[in-house]
Amino acid sequence: MKRQIPLLIVILLGFTFVIHTFVPSKLSMDFYDWYQSWIKAISPFMVLLGIMSLFMVNSNKIQRKVPNWQYSVVTLLSLVATGAIGFIWGTQEGTPFMWMFKNVQMPMGATMFSLLAFYIASAAYKAFRARSMEATVLLVAAIIVMLGQVPIGMKISKYIPETATWILNVPNLAAKRGIALGVGLGMVATSLKILLGIERTYLGGGE
Amino acid sequence: MAKTKMNFFDRMQALDRRYIYLVVALAIILPLIIPFNSKTYVTEPVENIYKKIDSFSGRKDRAVLMCFSHDASTMAELFPMEVAILRHCFQRNVQVFTICFMPPAKPLMDFALQTAKEDYTVQSGVDYVNFGYKPYGIFLPIVLGMGDDISKAVETDDEGRIVSNLEIMKEIKNYNEMNLVVDFAASAAVQTWITYARARFGANVAAGVTAVMAADNFPYLQTGQLIGMLAGLKGAAEYEKLVDVFATHKEMVNGVETVVPRSFSKEILKESWIKLSDIKNPVYKTARTGMNAQTVAHIMIIVFIALGNIGYFVNKKKNEN
Repeated sequence: MKRQIPLLIVILLGFTFVIHTFVPSKLSMDFYDWYQSWIKAISPFMVLLGIMSLFMVNSNKIQRKVPNWQYSVVTLLSLVATGAIGFIWGTQEGTPFMWMFKNVQMPMGATMFSLLAFYIASAAYKAFRARSMEATVLLVAAIIVMLGQVPIGMKISKYIPETATWILNVPNLAAKRGIALGVGLGMVATSLKILLGIERTYLGGGE
Repeated sequence: MAKTKMNFFDRMQALDRRYIYLVVALAIILPLIIPFNSKTYVTEPVENIYKKIDSFSGRKDRAVLMCFSHDASTMAELFPMEVAILRHCFQRNVQVFTICFMPPAKPLMDFALQTAKEDYTVQSGVDYVNFGYKPYGIFLPIVLGMGDDISKAVETDDEGRIVSNLEIMKEIKNYNEMNLVVDFAASAAVQTWITYARARFGANVAAGVTAVMAADNFPYLQTGQLIGMLAGLKGAAEYEKLVDVFATHKEMVNGVETVVPRSFSKEILKESWIKLSDIKNPVYKTARTGMNAQTVAHIMIIVFIALGNIGYFVNKKKNEN
């Protein structure tokens, strides 16, 4: 019963939504409205669940003094402080919350993302070699696209941005579309398997 | 053991990566400190978004929904495009809705609205409405619900007001009126809008994405499922230019410099040249200033690749000999 009831709920609701999408009727519309009210009421609890999970994982790390447990202390203190400041003074412009966002979160987030530029430059210098025909094609394409993305590419020749656009619109698009079709077919197959009760790993637990 | 003498190329191959980091830092910081004027070339996907938004100008039965789906880490690329679109909307009297489904996006959304409305007298609930943060769990119900009735899908706005009571909602019901959704993301979030809002309700969807995510969206641009795309800082710079050339175009009227918006025209765009030093507000040229740094950084990476490969081939030939 522990597995059969959740399975039944998934199959029943899954087919209900398929019917609602492809054969909409007054009954299915009413059911959908009712479902929307429920989902709106339930979703805030997901945030609560996330916070609880974060607390449990990090407090466990602190208790067991695992390597780098100090970072967990910072995480929990930041969570409590940010939450408290937001609740007490609000989150609008001019509040301590917004000050923290502009002076702590924004520069830290930007710093993390900008590290990418340093790694790319280093990797480009150390590892991006024309060792084979494929690597040479990749290298030439990368240089054209990089030049095509900045104004100087147009200054050098109008063909550089045009070639960069062609690379993105033809070979890149063909590969992306192939991947998208594969993913799409995979999603349809997996969804059908879930709806028909063949795929049950999402229920968790062993056999 | 005898020490092998290293030639120039050997030394270059074994270069400490900290020197590379130093050069990258200088290549990015210097153009930001000493800005120079570079021409921004506008591409079609950016033009299409501009033209679509501009076509809503002054209409009470049209609105743009801006969905903020990113955090502060990708702000450098996405924030300038958000501010540029908001400026365009406020300047051209286009009604705007904003929403986010990620907690870290909420302060960003507030900051973008605050920044853009500084120079405009716009009123919340009349000219724009901020739907605020909604939990990710109701992302799909909201996307689908908006196809039926926006005020039912999003019952209250960020200030706790009932959405259906707001003046801005008088002539807006669903995607038929709120006919453009622009999703700003560093992820594949826009694909949800394409799958549900576009395919099911025919809403126009556009994307503002980081440069690394742009390649993923080209298939949707080609099929027309995305009406346009702002790709990275370049896309933001292009939109900033369009706003300056058309929406906030200034002319001397009775001896006073006055904003006289003009319609989009490829000819005007081709001839227009706006010097960065002529733009007083630094926020309005963030992306174009950043593009200077990006130009130098790209050239530097290309030089690095070339140097690395020259060293590789010289050493390869030496070893073969």
